[in-house]
Amino acid sequence: MQQLKKGFLILLLPLMAFTVAHKFYLTVTHVGYSEKDDALQITTRIFIDDIEKVIEARYALKMNMATESESPLVDEYLEKYLRTKMVIELNGAVKEYNFLGKEYDDDMVVCYMEIPKIGLDSIKTIQIQDEVLTDLFDAQQNVVHFNIKDLRKSMVLLKSNTKGMLNL
Amino acid sequence: MTKIKYAFASLLFLFAAVATAQEVEKKEKEPGHVNQSKFRQLYDEFATPNTYRSASGAPGPDYYQQQADYKIAVTLDDKNAKLYGEETVTYFNNSPDKLDFLWVQLDQNVRAKDSKSPLRDGQEVPMAEPANTFVSKYISAPFDGGFNIDYVKDAAGKALPYTINQTMMRIDLPKALLPKEQVSFSVKWWYNIVDHTISRARSGYEYFPKDGNRAYVIAQFFPRMAVYSDVEGWQNHQFWGSGEFALTFGNYDVSITVPADHILDGTGELQNRKEVFTPEMMARYEKAKKSYDKPVIIVTQAEAEAAEKGFSEKTKTWKFKAENVRDYAFASSRKFIWDMQAVKMGDRDVMAVSLYPKEGNPLWEEYSTKAVAHTLRSYSSHTFDYPYPKAISVHAKNQGMEYPMICWNYGRPNEDGTYSDRVKYGMLSVIIHEVGHNFFPMIVNSDERQWGWMDEGLNTFMQYMAEQEFGEKYPEAIAPNAKYPSRRGDPSKIVPYMGGDQSTISPIMSNPENVYQLGPNAYAKPATALNILRETIMGRELFDYAFKTYARRWEFKHPTPEDFFRTMEDASAVDLDYFWRGWFYTTDYVDIGVKDVKKYQVSNVPSPAMKVYMQEHNLTEADLRPLVYLIQIDSTENAENPDLAAKYPSESSTTLKEYMMDNMTEAERAAVKEPKYFYEVTFDKPGGLPMPLIVEYTYADGTKENITYPPEIWRKNDVEVKRVIASQKELVGIVVDPKAETADIDVTNNSWPKKQENTDFDKFKAKIKG
Repeated sequence: MQQLKKGFLILLLPLMAFTVAHKFYLTVTHVGYSEKDDALQITTRIFIDDIEKVIEARYALKMNMATESESPLVDEYLEKYLRTKMVIELNGAVKEYNFLGKEYDDDMVVCYMEIPKIGLDSIKTIQIQDEVLTDLFDAQQNVVHFNIKDLRKSMVLLKSNTKGMLNL
Repeated sequence: MTKIKYAFASLLFLFAAVATAQEVEKKEKEPGHVNQSKFRQLYDEFATPNTYRSASGAPGPDYYQQQADYKIAVTLDDKNAKLYGEETVTYFNNSPDKLDFLWVQLDQNVRAKDSKSPLRDGQEVPMAEPANTFVSKYISAPFDGGFNIDYVKDAAGKALPYTINQTMMRIDLPKALLPKEQVSFSVKWWYNIVDHTISRARSGYEYFPKDGNRAYVIAQFFPRMAVYSDVEGWQNHQFWGSGEFALTFGNYDVSITVPADHILDGTGELQNRKEVFTPEMMARYEKAKKSYDKPVIIVTQAEAEAAEKGFSEKTKTWKFKAENVRDYAFASSRKFIWDMQAVKMGDRDVMAVSLYPKEGNPLWEEYSTKAVAHTLRSYSSHTFDYPYPKAISVHAKNQGMEYPMICWNYGRPNEDGTYSDRVKYGMLSVIIHEVGHNFFPMIVNSDERQWGWMDEGLNTFMQYMAEQEFGEKYPEAIAPNAKYPSRRGDPSKIVPYMGGDQSTISPIMSNPENVYQLGPNAYAKPATALNILRETIMGRELFDYAFKTYARRWEFKHPTPEDFFRTMEDASAVDLDYFWRGWFYTTDYVDIGVKDVKKYQVSNVPSPAMKVYMQEHNLTEADLRPLVYLIQIDSTENAENPDLAAKYPSESSTTLKEYMMDNMTEAERAAVKEPKYFYEVTFDKPGGLPMPLIVEYTYADGTKENITYPPEIWRKNDVEVKRVIASQKELVGIVVDPKAETADIDVTNNSWPKKQENTDFDKFKAKIKG
């Protein structure tokens, strides 16, 4: 009887106001370009409690991020998860990125990824597929900001629409 | 003729810039427009002041508010997780209106089987789902929640007709309730208590499978009067889940019957302490009342662990009285450890109290009551002395929810007692926040159902100040951090939200049910806006006085947004209409930059541009009064004046020299320091919000000069503005908003010369290279 509305949980969570606890599912990704390295540089900010939940659900790993008992496997599993959920295509072809690592900012983890020597002049389209956390949360919103030289574009990617494209 | 021409030319000269701009030929005449200035007053947005609410933002001479007194008796059926209650409500009609019916809130109905709350959002079939989610979504029966009303009777015991519309119940009065009259009615009810850890409800219980106990945090447990006011009439907007509460003040007489081995605390003063306390607890309580520096344990962990095994069949009734509160809540369990200490509040003592199961330790015994006491002191210093006799922090998993004198807070260590900084600061922050809610909205009683930001935004702002003060007061508690790591309040933290996709941002002035992200919308953005007002726009002295004035004017009353906006101006003489409009009524963001810098020097002869201007207007130098000419350098303008080295203006311009000779004494001339360098700096504002233009100028000798131009600099041109810098030193750098005080969403345009910013990405790369 008491299991009740867990079904509505996901639906209600962004609506039920719980003070202080973040009550919305959001990641913010910046896709930038470094002229110095001719590199596409990607940073993704994810709430620690969200990413811990999804890693535990998928891989049964308790990460205990930003604690003394942090698992030594955190970077490996972050990378593993991100590679399945975040895919970059340049000119329509999937391009692998280097996962540089992560750092913490309060209750967020910031992940750094880079694709060096992309040859920007020859790039016509950059596509990002961002499904981070949509496997766990229906209401997940993944915000992507492109900022390539003077070109800017922002988009919100949802479970129903996980791809965004920038035309150069 | 010459004279006229001369006068004409001078006049023209004054308006040269305007004239040049107007020379652009227009084919069609543009249509007119209404006042679009961002600095126009908020007459369209604000309600007209009246005798209920004054233009100053204070309650008017005819301000009124209703009163509802409650006599409540409830029984907690711990075995079946049900709550049974009976109440008599006495409602005082202080309004000038005749009331044919009363509206009573039945909040528990949001969890009724026929609740419309779960139906009002779109759904999609997910590609995959966790099995437990799938089961509860599609397979298991829904929770049988909601109030079951046994009766509604008048004072004589006669049944009153009532109609339930979702979470609202209308009681039809046999005879209209006239102004100054009062009416009493009684209601009997029961409901199934929900497991709040599953449903994320604002009250309910947590079940502990290891020992078979429940810890109850009970609220919205009785039918409560809706607010009737001069602003909304009856505030009977349904409780959908996000929009919190609008409640009438009144006096409460509450008796709560629970299993005899439960420990319980709630809103108000305990009336029968000797009946429910052991002599040992009484002795400890007397000690706690005199302990101002640290809490005294009333029920120890060992005692609570022993009680966990009891499951008494007997009951005990705890009796409370609370005066002038807008709501009632309590917490009850065998599992509770209990500590408290006294806090000096003017000439009174207030008790800071914590209730927590052993699962909260060791974190809770160390920090909870300390945080409660600190919050009462900090908030009181910015508003008014905390008027209630106590403030309780109850540990409840995943909760962060506030009621008068009592609140539920999360922050649970791991099973082995270890905890991360994240859990610790999350717990401290949520306690500060929820205890802080006693001030907004429990005492400064805004309408949460309509305006979530009025309590959440103000309270998050106060929370930020209290957290920072906590860090200053207890440096050992936050070590190795130098300052308390506040999640919200710093301008930089709101940038990702305000700079984000406009289709998912709502103005702050939106109903909480209709916003996309309640956290940044109702909490972080208004808190940041107030922080910027305090630190950057008004300054602490003006802001603090005005904010305190608002709190005191509306203490134990029902303010509206206008009452807040108006009071902040009334008590400070700072016109903030542009600020309220931009930050609260729109989704505009801050983006201000430096666009261009031109260098000029003084010259004896007109510049080529000036010559062109003179030719066009058929003027010769003789037609003009003696003038000091400025000529742009680093451009073609000075091609014919190659000798314009760094000379003083009076050396370059005969006119200037003569003027100074004629009008200044030799001593005065010796004392003046003539600027050598003249710059015209163009600032642009791609963002919609007018903000102070904060500029740091750096000169060749390394010195810096900070100038803050008031927000009004944007009043005539909201896009671009120019300023002239005249200096003895060469200007080598300009930075807009150097201390990141304004939540500027794009700082790549904030520097001249344009800096190749060392991005966060580069910094991280450098860091990992070590």
